[in-house]
Amino acid sequence: MTPEAFLDMVIGILPAFATFYMVALGHSIFEKAGILNLAIDGVFFAATGAAVVGAVGLGNPVYGSILAAVVAAILGLFMSFVLTYLPISHGAVGLSLQFLGYGLGIVFGYSVRLAVGAIYSYAYSRDAVYEITLVALAIGVLVHLLVEKTKLGSAIRACGENPHAAAALGVNVIATRLIAGALGFALIGLGSSLFVLLWVRIWDIKTYTLGYGWLAFAVALAAGRHPLFLIPIALLFGGLVDLQTTIQARLKVPADVAKLVPFVGALVLMLAYSMTRLRRVFAQPTSLGKPYYKEEKSI
Amino acid sequence: MRIVLLRRKKPLKYGSALTIGLSLALGVVLFTVFAWIIGLNPLLVLYTISSSFVFPGTVKDFLVLTLLGYALLVAFKGSLWNIGAEGQFHIALLPTVYVTLICFFTLEQVPAYVSVAVILLSIVLATIAGALWGGLAGAIKAYAGVDEVPVTLILNYIAYYIGNILILGPFQGKYVYGYKRTDMLPDPYRVSIIVRVPSTGNPLLDSVFAYVRELIMYFAWILGLLVVVLLVRWLFNNTTLGLRIKVLGSNPDYLVTLGYDVKKLTVVTFMISGAIVGFTAALYFHGYLYRLEYPLEYVSGQYGYLAILVTWLSLLEIRLIPVSAYIVASLIMGSQRLVALPEVKKALEAAGFYGVETSFRLLMFGSILLTYSIMRFLQEYELKVIRE
Repeated sequence: MTPEAFLDMVIGILPAFATFYMVALGHSIFEKAGILNLAIDGVFFAATGAAVVGAVGLGNPVYGSILAAVVAAILGLFMSFVLTYLPISHGAVGLSLQFLGYGLGIVFGYSVRLAVGAIYSYAYSRDAVYEITLVALAIGVLVHLLVEKTKLGSAIRACGENPHAAAALGVNVIATRLIAGALGFALIGLGSSLFVLLWVRIWDIKTYTLGYGWLAFAVALAAGRHPLFLIPIALLFGGLVDLQTTIQARLKVPADVAKLVPFVGALVLMLAYSMTRLRRVFAQPTSLGKPYYKEEKSI
Repeated sequence: MRIVLLRRKKPLKYGSALTIGLSLALGVVLFTVFAWIIGLNPLLVLYTISSSFVFPGTVKDFLVLTLLGYALLVAFKGSLWNIGAEGQFHIALLPTVYVTLICFFTLEQVPAYVSVAVILLSIVLATIAGALWGGLAGAIKAYAGVDEVPVTLILNYIAYYIGNILILGPFQGKYVYGYKRTDMLPDPYRVSIIVRVPSTGNPLLDSVFAYVRELIMYFAWILGLLVVVLLVRWLFNNTTLGLRIKVLGSNPDYLVTLGYDVKKLTVVTFMISGAIVGFTAALYFHGYLYRLEYPLEYVSGQYGYLAILVTWLSLLEIRLIPVSAYIVASLIMGSQRLVALPEVKKALEAAGFYGVETSFRLLMFGSILLTYSIMRFLQEYELKVIRE
C-alpha cells in the first residue's frame, strides 16, 4: 500500500472514528461518575432518530446534532437522577432505557425517513469531516483537562470512586452526577448524530440491530475511559467497522464475516485489557454500578 | 417537610404481587400515553392489551418464555447477568439444523425410532451448544474479570453472524429456490401435533377449544417445561450447587472464605443457564420454527431479550416465572393484535408509523421494564414524609 493510499484510507475512516470517539468519550465521563451505562446502545439509536428530525425539520445538520445531544442529555439527566436518589439497580434501569431508546429512535426517525427518503441533502458535506474530526479531538482534550485538572473533574472522579466519602468532603454528589450525566449523554448524542449525518448518511430502522453502541462501550472499556487513549482505540474500531466492505472484497469473505470482525475484535480487546497490566492501570471506578444509599436519605 | 427513604424493617406484605402489578400498570399507562400522543385511542389500546390476557395465541410465547425465564433465573440468582440468551438460543439452533437438515435430511417417511433418535440427538447437541456458549461468557467473566453484560451482548452479535454465515453457506437449503434460508424441517422430525377443531359458534366454547388445541399442539414443549421446572426447583431446593449459586448472588466473599472455587462456580452457573436456553431452542425449532432464514437478527423472535423481562418481573422467584412469562406473552399478543386493528392501522398510517410495529413493542417493554426497575425499590425501602 502506498503512503497516499494509506492516507486515503485513514481519511475514509474519519467519520467512523469521530462517531465512535464521541460516543465512547461521553460514555466514559458518565461512568467516571460511578454510574454504569447499559443504556448506551438504546440512547445511540434514539439520538440518531432525533438527529434526523433536527436536521430535516430545521434544514441544517448542526441542528440535528444539537437536538440529538439535547435528547440524549435528557435521558442522561433522568438516569443520573434516579440512580443517585434511589437505591436501584444500574443495570436494570440501563437495559430498560436501552429498549425504550430503541422504540424512541424508531418513533423519531421513521416518520422523517418516510417523508423525505434519503437524507443526503440534509447531512454534513463530505468536506466537513476534517473540521468535525478536529472539533471531536478538541472536545476530547477539553474533557481530559476537565476531568484531570478541574475541581468539577475531581468531584466526578470522587463520585465514581466513593460517593459517600465525596459527600463527606463536601461534594454535592447529585449535582456532580447530573452534570456528568448531561455532559456525557450529550456527547453520546452528538456522536450518534455523526453516525447518521456524517458517516452512513442514511437513517435506517435496522441500525438498532447493529450494536454500534455496544462497540463504543467496548472502545471506552478498552481505553480505560481515558479521553486521550480513546483516540487510537476509536480509530482502530472505526477502521474495522468502516472497512468491512474492503475486508470483504480483499479477503473474498461473506459480508457477515466482515461484520463479525469488530465484535470479535471488541471481545479480544476486552480480554487483552482485562488480562494484562492495563486492567490495573485503567481500573474502573471503584463504585461503578453500585447503588448510592445512605441509611436515611432525604429526597 | 421532607421525604425520607428508609430501609423496611419488615418485608412489604404482598410485596412481590404489588411491585409486579404496580410496575405493569404504570408501564402500560406510560405506553398508552405514547400511543395516545401519536393519535391512538387510549381506551382501545388499554382494552386490546387487557383482553389479550385471555387469548389462546399466547400459549406458544408463554411456553418459550417460561423455559427461557427459568434459564436466566439460574444465572440471575447468582447475580450473573446473562443477557446472552439470544446468542445462546441462536448458537444452539446450529447443531439442530446440522443434524436434522444436513446429516439426516429426508424427503420421505422414516421409522419412528429414527425420528426419535434424530430429535433426541438434536436436542442433546443444542443443549450442549447452549451450555458451551454460556460457559464461554462465564469463563471470560470468571477468569478475565470482564463484566458479563457487554460480553454476553457481544456474543449475541457473534452468534447472529456465525448463523448467517452458515445459512448463506453450508446450511443453505437445496429446495429453497435460491432463497437465503435452510430447507424445511422434515415432517418426521417435528414435535408439534396439529389438531383441527371446528367452530361451535359459541365464542366462549371456541375460545376454550382454541386453548386446548394450542396445548395439544405444543405438548412436547409442556413436557420439556416440566423437566426444566423440576430440575431448577431441585437445583435450588435440594442441592449444594444451588445453594452456592444463591450465595454467589448475595455474598461471594463468603464462598471464597469457605474455600469454594468461585470462578468454576461462575462458569458452571452460566453453563446451566445456557444449557436450558439451548434445550429451549431445540424444542422451538422442532415444534414451531422448522427452518432458519437470513438474516437471523431480523427474523428471530428476540425471545432471548424478552426472557430478561420475564426473569426480572418474576423478582427471581421460581414460582413467579410462569406468571411473568404469561404477562409478557400476553403483552406480545396485545401489541400484535393492536397493530392489526383497522383503526390502529389507520392511525399508524396517518402518523407515519405503519410497518414499524416493532417500535411499539419496544416502547411497551421499555416502559414496563423501566417502571419495574424503579418501583422495585419499594419492596425493601419505604418513603416517609417527615414534618419538621
